[in-house]
Amino acid sequence: MRGQPSLWWIDWRLSRSHLVRETIGRFLYFCLLGFAVISLLLSGGVSRFLADRYAITAVLRAEVPAAEAEGLARKVAVLPSVRSAAYRDPEAVWKEFLRAYPGVESLRGAGGNPMPGYIEIRFRPDRLTGADIDLVASALRSVPLVEQVLAGEEWLPRLLRAGRIASLAGWGVFGAFLAGFFLVGRLQERARVVALAGDFAFLAERGVSAGRLACSRAAAAAVSGFLLSAAGTAVGGGALFLSLRNFHFLEAVVGPPSDLLLPRTIAGAVLFCCGAALLSAAASLLGGRAARSGR
Amino acid sequence: MARGPRRILSAVLAAAVSLAILLPSAAPAARDIAAELRKERGRLLEMKDREEKTVRELTEALRMEKRSKGRVGELQDRLKRQKSLLSRIDRNISALNDRLDRAEKAVRELEAAHGQARTDLQRAEVVAFAGQRAGAADPWRPSARERERYFMRLYLAADAEDVARITRARERKAEELSGLERQVAVTESKMAREKKVGDTLLSRQEAERVRLADFEREKKRKQKELKSLRAKIARMESVVSRVERQVKERERRARKRAAGESATGAPAEAPRRFASLSGGLSTPLAGKVVTRFGRQHDPTFDVTIENRGVEIEAPSGASVKSVGQGEVAFAGAVSGFGNVLIVQHGGGLFSVYGRLEAFLVKQGEAVKKGTVVGRLPGSPSGKSVLYLELRAGGTAIDPTSAIPLDR
Repeated sequence: MRGQPSLWWIDWRLSRSHLVRETIGRFLYFCLLGFAVISLLLSGGVSRFLADRYAITAVLRAEVPAAEAEGLARKVAVLPSVRSAAYRDPEAVWKEFLRAYPGVESLRGAGGNPMPGYIEIRFRPDRLTGADIDLVASALRSVPLVEQVLAGEEWLPRLLRAGRIASLAGWGVFGAFLAGFFLVGRLQERARVVALAGDFAFLAERGVSAGRLACSRAAAAAVSGFLLSAAGTAVGGGALFLSLRNFHFLEAVVGPPSDLLLPRTIAGAVLFCCGAALLSAAASLLGGRAARSGR
Repeated sequence: MARGPRRILSAVLAAAVSLAILLPSAAPAARDIAAELRKERGRLLEMKDREEKTVRELTEALRMEKRSKGRVGELQDRLKRQKSLLSRIDRNISALNDRLDRAEKAVRELEAAHGQARTDLQRAEVVAFAGQRAGAADPWRPSARERERYFMRLYLAADAEDVARITRARERKAEELSGLERQVAVTESKMAREKKVGDTLLSRQEAERVRLADFEREKKRKQKELKSLRAKIARMESVVSRVERQVKERERRARKRAAGESATGAPAEAPRRFASLSGGLSTPLAGKVVTRFGRQHDPTFDVTIENRGVEIEAPSGASVKSVGQGEVAFAGAVSGFGNVLIVQHGGGLFSVYGRLEAFLVKQGEAVKKGTVVGRLPGSPSGKSVLYLELRAGGTAIDPTSAIPLDR
């Protein structure tokens, strides 16, 4: 092999300027896809958004002491599906109510505070399911301290269904972008093979088989695809990190910046890079074949 | 009550009657004295009638005065009680008015609170509606909206409960107020009635005072008149005593002349005693002494009266017997004593029976001890009274000392 020229980067040697442009374009595209895939990984589609919006409210009886209510909140918080359980005393509830209904305060001068305390239970994004919610709600209803459990039974199924659809749509769009990357890559590969057909014929006359050439080119495309996607994902992740740091409202949708370095996020990113490498290789092979077949 | 003066008069009358009876038995020379005695007797009887009439009027005036005084006292007591009752009612009305004022104030406050609570509730409903409308445009906070709606329901329920509570309290207070008003009206009506009664009592008391003053004046006038009459009677008694002495003197002189004509000359008959009467004395009838002899206190006039006889209460229609042997010296009507019968027992001893209905013996008829001489009158009460007087030598003696009478 040493006497023969390497075919791994044959395209770089034969058409450098084109390939630079393609590489830049792919990098930028992978930046976008990397941003998207990390966002999807962190948010779980719209699960985090929904989990941030949805909560079970356990309204306590009026005579429940704060210590008992806080004890109950601590017990609820350790349930597997529960992300947080916070007790709010009647005073805080009254203030919250007045914020929601400004103008009420002046109407109840001497009437006192009619509000009871409550415990707000929020779920983990990945455990925001009907079964988990029913389990927690039924457990709370059996507690004597609890007067009423507000679990949104009327609208929760619609919410969960909408969440599922939104998540699927998110991943679908992401898949479409990947598919677009594949198709564009295939077209670019075909066009390059057509453009370099003379050079490849020359190599074939010198004994370089077409299969070997295609494999070399595919391997090079896979490596470059992996590296480009990794770099793009890193850049996209960095951009996401900066966005989360600068725009806190995104945390409610995507998640906290600290989750970027979670193993599952990194594993997902690596998987994405591998997928991008495979897609690059496939695009190279299929593009070359299409060029040879004249399609 | 008017028996005291009657006793005095009866004594005078008895003396006069006895003298009038004795005079005819004296010499014809004493005929002018007898005429004088009859004349004096007539004057005495007239004066006695006038005195009796005055006494009756005085007694009536005193009785009316006493009754009037009693009425005035009773009216004063009633007025005092009435004033106390009015004062109590006044205090009650004052307390009720205080309670009424407080209740009215409470009702006004509750009405204001009720109006405020209703307004607040309506405003809260408006706020709730606006809040719900605003929340409808914010679908990204479903749980928070659900919670806010629930708490707004709690708030509205608490407000509605406040309104209901104030309404109930207002109704209770209004009911209490109505009850108090009724109570005040009843008490005021009662007070008006009691004031009317008090006014009536005052006018009656005033009228009774006027009548009492009239009675007082009448009483004084009658007492003055009675005093004057008694003075006249005393003077008359003195005249009768003088006449009696004159009769005795004439009798003595007659007996002396008769003794001078006779050879031996009979000594003057000494006054005898009832105990020395032959056969003794017996009771005129079975009965009880109700008026004693001698000085007795009259509570009506607050004076001491000299009784010359006794009064014996016996069944109506009872027969009256002579207490001893003698001769009927007089039987006739005497004003104030009804039919009077006098029995002369001799030796200056007389027995007088008054208030008889009928005589069963005639003047001049001889009677023995126990002879029925008369009968007592009938009476609706079934009881009648016999007047009995014993006189010895012109002096009245206590019949109970000579006759065993039931006291």
